[in-house]
Amino acid sequence: MTFAEPLRLLALLFVLPLLWWLSQPSRPRTATLTPHLAQWQAALAALRRRPPRLARLRFLLLAVAAAGAVAAFSGPSLRGRPGAERLVVVLDGSASMGARGADGRSAWQRAQAALRAGFERLPVELPVTLLRAGGSLRRRHGASARALLDLGAPSGGLDADLGALARKIGDVTGAAVWTLTDGQGAAALPVVGARTVLRASGPNAAVLSVVCDDRWPLPELELAVEIAAWTDAAATAQIVIEGALVAPVERAVAFAPGVRRRETFAVTRAGSGGPLVVRIALPGDVLAGDDAWRAALPPLPAPRIAVLADAEAGPYANVAAAALAEEVGGLVVAATDKAAVGVVLVDGGEAPLAAGAVRAITFGTRLSAAAAPPTPWLAPVVADWDRSGPLGAGLDLSDLRIAQAWRDVLPAGEPFLWADDAGVRTPLAVVAGTGDVASVHFAFRLQDANLPLLAAFPQLLRRAFVRSYGEGAAIAGVSAPPAAGEQDLRRAADGDDAPLPAFATSAVDVSGWFLLASLLALALRAFVR
Amino acid sequence: MARKAPALPPLPPLFPPAFRERLHALVGQPVAFAGAPDPRQRARRSVLSHSGTFVGHRRYERGDDLRRIDWSAYARTGQLFVKQLEQEQRRTAALLLDLSPSTHAGGVPRRLHLLRGAALVGGFALVQLDGLTVLAPGAGAQAVRTFAGAAALPELLAHLEELPTVAATPQDAIALTLQRGVPGRVHWFGDFAVPAEVERPLFALRRRGATVTGWLPELPEDRQPPTSGYLRLADAETGAELVVPVDPAFAAELRRQLALLASRQDRLFAHAGARLVRWRAPAADDFSVAAFSPVAARCEA
Repeated sequence: MTFAEPLRLLALLFVLPLLWWLSQPSRPRTATLTPHLAQWQAALAALRRRPPRLARLRFLLLAVAAAGAVAAFSGPSLRGRPGAERLVVVLDGSASMGARGADGRSAWQRAQAALRAGFERLPVELPVTLLRAGGSLRRRHGASARALLDLGAPSGGLDADLGALARKIGDVTGAAVWTLTDGQGAAALPVVGARTVLRASGPNAAVLSVVCDDRWPLPELELAVEIAAWTDAAATAQIVIEGALVAPVERAVAFAPGVRRRETFAVTRAGSGGPLVVRIALPGDVLAGDDAWRAALPPLPAPRIAVLADAEAGPYANVAAAALAEEVGGLVVAATDKAAVGVVLVDGGEAPLAAGAVRAITFGTRLSAAAAPPTPWLAPVVADWDRSGPLGAGLDLSDLRIAQAWRDVLPAGEPFLWADDAGVRTPLAVVAGTGDVASVHFAFRLQDANLPLLAAFPQLLRRAFVRSYGEGAAIAGVSAPPAAGEQDLRRAADGDDAPLPAFATSAVDVSGWFLLASLLALALRAFVR
Repeated sequence: MARKAPALPPLPPLFPPAFRERLHALVGQPVAFAGAPDPRQRARRSVLSHSGTFVGHRRYERGDDLRRIDWSAYARTGQLFVKQLEQEQRRTAALLLDLSPSTHAGGVPRRLHLLRGAALVGGFALVQLDGLTVLAPGAGAQAVRTFAGAAALPELLAHLEELPTVAATPQDAIALTLQRGVPGRVHWFGDFAVPAEVERPLFALRRRGATVTGWLPELPEDRQPPTSGYLRLADAETGAELVVPVDPAFAAELRRQLALLASRQDRLFAHAGARLVRWRAPAADDFSVAAFSPVAARCEA
C-alpha cells in the first residue's frame, strides 16, 4: 500500500497524543493532602471499586478511528500490478486481408473477432490505440478502438513496415504492441510485441489494369485488360466484361502461375451510359477484392449539329459541320429556335451566345451585338498552340495562315492558340466554360484562314466538340488498380502467434475503506464502556 | 518515575501572642509532670534543679519558680535571688517531633496542633524538670536542641517555629534518639499514619528503657471523612494521587478503615508499653483553656 500524501500521516503525531490526553478522566483541579491515602485505597479495594481511569478499549477504538481518518486523508491506495500501461494495436488493413480462410471468413473478419476477444480480457481502464496499417490509414483510440469503430474494408497495399512499426512502438515506455496481419507484403513478421497471424493462402486472380481507348461520342470502346493468376499450377480463368454495353463479352484465358497477360476487347457501349465491369473468375479464388475493375461510362451525346453563318461566310461552315458530323457520327440540322442540338457551329457575324454556357464552336463571331464593332487584325502570324492540351495535342497547326482576324471578339477563357502580335503572344482561340458545358471560340472566320484546308481540321473540330462536353465526356469512377504485392497469397510471411504481455493495473484507492473503518470503530466505541 | 511532591499549604501563625499568653498561664499550673533521670547529665556544673546540694545564688529571672526564691537573701540585700542547687541525678524529658510533610494534611494542618502541643508539653518540662531535649529528625543542625529552665520557653517556641518540614521516617527518628542517648522519657509528636513504621522504633525505645508517650492530635477528617464529592487526594510525602468519587457507601467504608487505623495505632502503642494520647484538635484560633486542657490533663496523668 502506498500513500499519495504521506506527510499528512505526521498529523497522527499530534492527533493521537491529543486524543490520549482528552480521553483521560477528569481530575479535580485541587488536590487534598491526606496522610491516610492507604485507607482510601483500602476502602476502594474493599468495595471492589477502581478509581476512574483511561478506558483503554474506548481509547483504542478512538485512536483507530482517528488513524483511519488521517490515513484516508493521506490518499492511501493499493499498488497496481506492474506491466504495460497502454496497448497499441497495429491492424493490417491491406487488400490481402480480405482473403477468405478455410472457415469462409476473411482474415479481416477473423482479425476483428480476435481483437474483440482480446479486448474483453484487457483491464477496463487500459488505454487502447488502434492503428490501421494498409489501405486508408486510420487511428482509433479508447472506446472507438475497443468498438472497432469504422475501420473500413481491407484495401490498398501495406505501405508500412510492420516490424519497424512494432519496434518503434515497443520502444515507447509502458506501451505494448499487438500486430494482427496475414503476413502478405512483408518480408518477415514483427518480432516485437504480441502477434496474431491470420493465414489465408490460396489461388488468386486479379485484374491488374484496364486501359480504355474511348472513342466518345462514338459507341466503340477498346479495352486492354492486364490480368494475372497466382496459382500452384496453370489454370484457366474466365474474363467477363459487362455493364453498359450493347452486349457483354466473355472470354476464357489460360494462365501460367504468376505470369501477367494482356487481353484486348472491343466492345460497344450503350448510349445511355452506365457502369462498366471487367471481372475475372478463377475457381477457388480466395481474394475477391481484386477480381474486378469498374468504371462509369458517360452517356453518348445527341450528335445534332446546327450551323449559323453570315452572308459572307461561304460554304466553309457547312463543310466544317459536315466534317464534324462525320467525325462524331452526328447529323447537321437547321439552326432554329426550337431545335434541340448537341452543338452550334457559328462562322462570322453576330450570335447572342453566352460563352461557356452553351456548347458552341464559333469562328470570328461577335457574341454581343451591343459591343463595339471589332477591329480587324490583318495577317496575324500564328505563334504557337497548346501542344499538350486536349485540343492541340498531337495536331500540326504550323501551316495555319490567317488573312484576317478580329480583335476583341474572344471571350474570357483558356487560350490554346496564339499569334505573335508585335512580340506579344495574343490568343487567337480560347475555350470558355467549365464542367459539362463549354464553348470554343476562334478569332477568325473560316474563309479568312486556311484552317479548313489543314489535315488537322477534322480532328480539331472533333476535339472541340468533345471539349464542349467537358467532364461529361470522360469515363468516371475508374476503380483503382490493386495494390502491388497483395495478390500472390502463396508467399505471405508466416510465423506463430505471440501472446499479449501482462498489463499494468491501476492503483486502487482505499481511502473509502479507511473512512469506513473509522466509522465502524466509532460505532463500536458507542457500545463499549 | 517519582511523582512531584505537592505544594504544602501555608500554616497559620504557630505561636501568636494569644497562644503565648495562654501557654505561660498553663505551664504555671501545678501539674505533676513526670520526668526521668538523665544519666548523661552527671557533670558537676550548675544547673537549675529542684533538689540537691546548695551551691549558690543567681539573680531572679522572670519565669523562675517563685518557690525557689531565697527570701533571706532578699531580706539582706533587697534583691531577688534564687537558690542554685546541684543535684546528682537530673530529671529531663525529650520531645521527638514528626516534621514530615504528611503532618500538613487537614483542614487545619495537623502540624499546627502537633507543635502547639509540643510547646505545651515542653513548657511543662522546662518549668518542672531539669532539662528538655528537642529531637527533630532530618532537621539538620536543628535536629537536636537542649533547653533548661522556664526562662528557655521563648527560646523553645522560637526553635519550634523555625523547624523545617522534612521527610524523615520513624527509623530516622529512633536513630537520632538512640544516637543521643535515651533520655528516659520521650514525648513523640506525630500522626503515626503508618503504624507498621512506628512499631520497631517503639520497641527499640522500650528495650533501652525509655518511657514513650505518643501525642496525636485528632483532626475532624480522621473520624468523619467527606460523604460525597469527586476528590483528588494526594500523599504529601510521595506525591501519589488518587481520584475517588465519594458516595455514602464509600464514606462508610472509609470511616471503617480510619477506625481500624486508630485501633491499630492504639494497639501498637499498648503493645509497646507506651501511651498514645489523642486529643481533639481545636480550631486554629481557639486559645481557650478548654482547647488545651486535654493536653495539660494528659501531661499530669
